[in-house]
Formats: sequence, C-alpha cells, structure tokens
Amino acid sequence: MTETSAPLIAVIEDEEHLAQGLLFNLQAEGYATHHEGDGDAALAYLLNTEDKIAAIVLDCMLPGTDGFAIVAALREAQRYTPVLMLTARTRPEDILEGLEAGADDYLPKPFELSILLMRLKSLLRRAAWQNTAASPEAPPDEYIFDHRTIRFDALELVAPNRTTHLTLMEADLLRYLTDREGQIVPRKDILEQVWRVHEDTDTRAIDNFIVRLRRYIEDDPANPQHLVTVRGIGYRFIANP
Amino acid sequence: MNITRRRGAIAFFITLGVLLVGLSVALQVGWIILNDRAVAFAVLGVILFSLLIAGVVLNTVFLVREIRRNERQDSFLNAVSHELKTPIASIRLYLETLQRRSVDEEQRQQFYRIMLTDSDRLLATVEQVLKAGQLGQRHRQQNRTTIDLASLLMECINVTLQRHHLGADSIILEPVPGAVRLQVVGIPEDLRTAIINVLDNAVKYSPEGVRVRCSLAITRYTWVTLRISDTGMGLPSNEYKRIFKRFYRVPGRSMVKIKGTGLGLFLVRNIARQHGGDVTASSAGAGLGTTITFTLPLANPEGSPDHS
Repeated sequence: MTETSAPLIAVIEDEEHLAQGLLFNLQAEGYATHHEGDGDAALAYLLNTEDKIAAIVLDCMLPGTDGFAIVAALREAQRYTPVLMLTARTRPEDILEGLEAGADDYLPKPFELSILLMRLKSLLRRAAWQNTAASPEAPPDEYIFDHRTIRFDALELVAPNRTTHLTLMEADLLRYLTDREGQIVPRKDILEQVWRVHEDTDTRAIDNFIVRLRRYIEDDPANPQHLVTVRGIGYRFIANP
Repeated sequence: MNITRRRGAIAFFITLGVLLVGLSVALQVGWIILNDRAVAFAVLGVILFSLLIAGVVLNTVFLVREIRRNERQDSFLNAVSHELKTPIASIRLYLETLQRRSVDEEQRQQFYRIMLTDSDRLLATVEQVLKAGQLGQRHRQQNRTTIDLASLLMECINVTLQRHHLGADSIILEPVPGAVRLQVVGIPEDLRTAIINVLDNAVKYSPEGVRVRCSLAITRYTWVTLRISDTGMGLPSNEYKRIFKRFYRVPGRSMVKIKGTGLGLFLVRNIARQHGGDVTASSAGAGLGTTITFTLPLANPEGSPDHS
C-alpha cells in the first residue's frame, strides 16, 4: 500500500452512506483513509493510534462521545491534528461551539464535495507549512507585541512564562485582529470573514472565544489591555496600550 | 449546555413557587392569629390567601410545563433537521461523485441503490412531518370504510418485512381465535400508517434481532385489541404515557444511535383516538421488549354491507 506516502485522513461519521461516499472520494483523491462510526471507538483510536493522521473529518452528532467532546479531548491531550467538522446544525452557536472545542474548520451538511476536498487540502497545506516553518530563507511569519510573539507558522503564542499552542481558527482570528491593530472590528465582520458564518442577527456566541484568547494574551484576563471590548459593536486589538 | 440552563430555569421556578407558597401560608397563619376574634375577617383572609396560593401553584406548574414543551420542540427541530439533511447530504455526495469521477458499473449500481434508500428515508420523514401537521389541524371524517383488520395487519407486516429486508418469520401474526372476521370502520390509509409506525419501532428498537408477534382478539364483546410485542430494548414504566407525546423521545445513550423525530407514536395515538379507540404501551422492563396495544371499536354488522 501507499501508506508511507499518502496522507492519512480519519473519517469519523456514523451515517454509513455518507461515510462510504466520503471514503470512496478520499481514496480516489489519493489519500489513505481510516473510518470509525462510533464516538467512543473513534476517541480511543485517535488517542492511542500509532498511525500518523494528517487530518480528521469529524461528524458532530455521533453515538457515544459526540464530535465536540472528541475534539476537546484531542486538544486536551496535546494532539493538534487538523480537524474539519461536519454538522447538520447551522446555528452560529453550534458552529462556534465546535470551533471553541478546538476544531479548525467546519462544513454544514449537506456539503459540496468539491468544497470539502478544497477545505481539507487547505488544512493539510497549512499543517504542512507549520512543519516546515523552520526553513531559514523564508521570513518568519510572526507578530510581536508586549513581550509576546504570535508565531502564525508554528501556531504558537510565545509569552515570557509560557508557550501556548493555537488552533488554526484561533490563529486566524488573532491575525485578523492584529492586521487591524487599533481599529474597531465588529462582531459581524469576524463571523463572516474569519469563520464564514452568515448571520443576520447579532450574536454573542463569539464572546466566549474572545475570553479564551484573552487568557492567552492578557496579563490579567479580567481586565484586558490588548483585546478590549467596544460596547455594542465588537472588539479592538491594541498592541501597546 | 442549553439543557443544563433549562434545568436550572426549572429548578429556579420551582424554588420560587415553593418560597412564595410558604410565604403566603405564613402570612395566612399570621392573619388568622391576628384576627382570631373577628371571624368574618379570618374567613375572608383564608379565602383570599388560598386563592393566592392556588394561583402561585398553578403559575409554577404552567411555567415548568411550558419550559418542558419548549425543550421538546428544540430537540424535535434538531432531530428533524438531522433526519432531513443527512439523506440529502448523502444523495448529493453520490451525485457529485458520479459527476466528477469515472465509476465502474458495479460501483455505479451500488451508488444508485444507496441514493434510492436515502430518498426513501427522506420521503418517510417528510410524510411523517406533514401527517402530524394535518392531524393536528382537522378531524377527518371522509373516506371512512369498513376495514378487515387481519388483512390490513398482514399487509403492514409485509411492507415492514420488505422495508427492513427481514425474513418472514421475524414478524408473526398469530391466528385469530375463533376465526372470526374482525372489522372496524375507519380510514384505511391512516390505520396503515399507525400500524406500520408501531411495527417500524418494534424493528428499530430490537437491535439484537427482530422477533415480533402480532395478535388480534375481541374484548368486551364490541372491541378489538391489536397487540404488537417485540423482544427489544423495552421501556421503563414511567415512559408508558410520555412516548405518545408529540416530539417526545426517551432520553438515554442507546437512543442516540436510533434515529427518529419523536412524531411516530404521537401519530399512532392520534389515529387510534380518531377511530374511537386508544393505544397503550407496556413493557416487562429494560431489555425485555415492549408491547403496544391498540383498542378499537368493532364495526356494527349492519353498518358493513359486505358482512356475511
């Protein structure tokens, strides 16, 4: 088999028909695949396997442990394999719950096959950048403020006393905010442009995410200096308060 | 997360209700003690306070019921959107696969079969939702005919066997005692839906092999009972009534695996009642199977022209 060269994609999906179709297409694209249909079995596999998994396609409604809990458990165990979540629920709260748990991207069901394959490819590409980030000729992709360094290529936040691992989504949000340093960024823009969630009503679901980022980048998360709330609108990132 | 918040809300309202009732009782006792000479005042006070207490109790009960109903509706929406979107996602995935790749003939036939199964599943969900809406709206009187229950039941059993690819001996119709013809007046299409729903459940909730027995019998001279027993997962006794509520699904781990909208048995009960009968559930316990019993009024012999 081509297991040494082909990237391995783990498909965690309990609907037999969807899983079969996904496996067929992933194999046709030249990936190696592994399938689990039960949440508990999937978690056991993902935590204990010796296989080098390149990315995980994860359904969120599973018998046993659900998708959100699986992703949270993986991150807890310091496994940062890229995770693409599939979800039949499309409320922003549900999507953000997945991203908060540590997923890197999501797709609502029913999804377009070409988009799924594209998103998966981009996850793998970003993960590959992360692995080759140490190459000396490329300029380091990082942002430095207040004795902290966000290393976008390595998905790390280096602070004086600790280094935090970021999920792709957290890194994307930080990049979005730091690119607009000093500007007010509305919640709606973050939802649409960072997470591609389109929602007409104002949602507060994003706030939990910000609270977590504050734990990473603030000396006193309860009294933020860098990532401040602009009441009624959104947030503002300030490098040097 | 949402559910714990709701549980919190329920606990809060019950506590508030109890506190208010306690306060009213204390005030009432105080009032009686203060007015123990003036009997008229005391009586008036007792009446007013009792009204107050009754009001608070009613209010609390109402609130808790509303919160519960809301909860059920929410989980129904989740279940239905899952039940609608999953087959669509699957059909779409296979169509795109066929469009995008060259697939050999055998594989292609398999994809067609999968898509057909998925479209059946989609149709079943859609019909169930539509039917529930219809039944909720109006009482249907049209198209009532005399139905021979045994042949209708046999027909439903065959449909279920075929739908789930089961052997003929997994659902058995016991011979009717006395070989009498059991006829009811009703809408055949609705009764068929009800019986198939119950049979489907019997199959669905028997993950370790399907052994379903159906029986028909006359009870109390003018009634017919139709009993459908499985040997599946069974039911705790506090769920006997609740399972017939709209959107209700028995909570628990094993239920996550078995998909459903919580409409099937609601439809069954409604249909049974529209035919002048009722339906009940019972179980010997967890893992010991469930029995669903229909009770329907027998047709009057003079009302059925083909009765011989």
